[in-house]
Amino acid sequence: MSATPFADTLALLTRQRGVLGSMVVSEADGIIVDSNLQIGVKGNVVAALAASLYRKARLSAQAAGLGTAAFLQLEAQRGRVCAVGRGDLLLVTVAESRANVGLIRVELMRAAEVLG
Amino acid sequence: MTIAVVETWIEEPLKRFVGDARVRLALLLHTSGQVVAQSGFTRAIDVMSACALAAAIHASAGELGKQLDGKPFHVLHHAGKSRQIVIAPAQTKRGLYIFLTVFDQESSLGLVQLYFEEFAKRLADAAPAAEPTPVVLAENFERDLNRNLASLFGR
Repeated sequence: MSATPFADTLALLTRQRGVLGSMVVSEADGIIVDSNLQIGVKGNVVAALAASLYRKARLSAQAAGLGTAAFLQLEAQRGRVCAVGRGDLLLVTVAESRANVGLIRVELMRAAEVLG
Repeated sequence: MTIAVVETWIEEPLKRFVGDARVRLALLLHTSGQVVAQSGFTRAIDVMSACALAAAIHASAGELGKQLDGKPFHVLHHAGKSRQIVIAPAQTKRGLYIFLTVFDQESSLGLVQLYFEEFAKRLADAAPAAEPTPVVLAENFERDLNRNLASLFGR
């Protein structure tokens, strides 16, 4: 099977310190299009829930008259889920607490360009 | 959210699934097409039609899967303009059931798949020990179907 157009971007994101994995996910379906995950990350589960969360955040931002959602960060007890969207695709990253969220944000925003 | 079940052990898993996955309709039936639980339907005639169609689709897809892939297809998904449907088998000690669910933009295929896996596990755990499976005879089918529909819709 040949690599998808997202393979290099995902590999770059997952190489960041503290990042456990990254995925390109369909926002409407919550299904993984491509992923680069460390062992133990439940990609399908994270993808389905993160896509649902992002969709609701995007709709909330629109409803509040704030325009399009640019970057979503969920901070949890032992790590973070970050997401950016373009069209129907999302770039989702799962990271440990020690990860540099500023750097992840910059990389995600840059990487989102490949989503089209 | 209206949930009606013919057998009480199905209620809790189904209630959890409908609440978590935010689906519009859910239906659990025997492979023969006999309904055992429903959520979201308001008319018995719709349940009857959906059960008959779901059982037929499951049987056809199972046979097609065997011919193409050597084993029945597991989960079927059809996407419409605004609504989508998933049909999947759920194995329990009581035998094989067919699960049909309809969802819209409030949910997604990923969420439905995720919560269906949990539902299938909960259903399998909740199922009481197997009873001798009654043979579904053609002459009894309508009587059993009407009994189940009466149980679900209180008529």
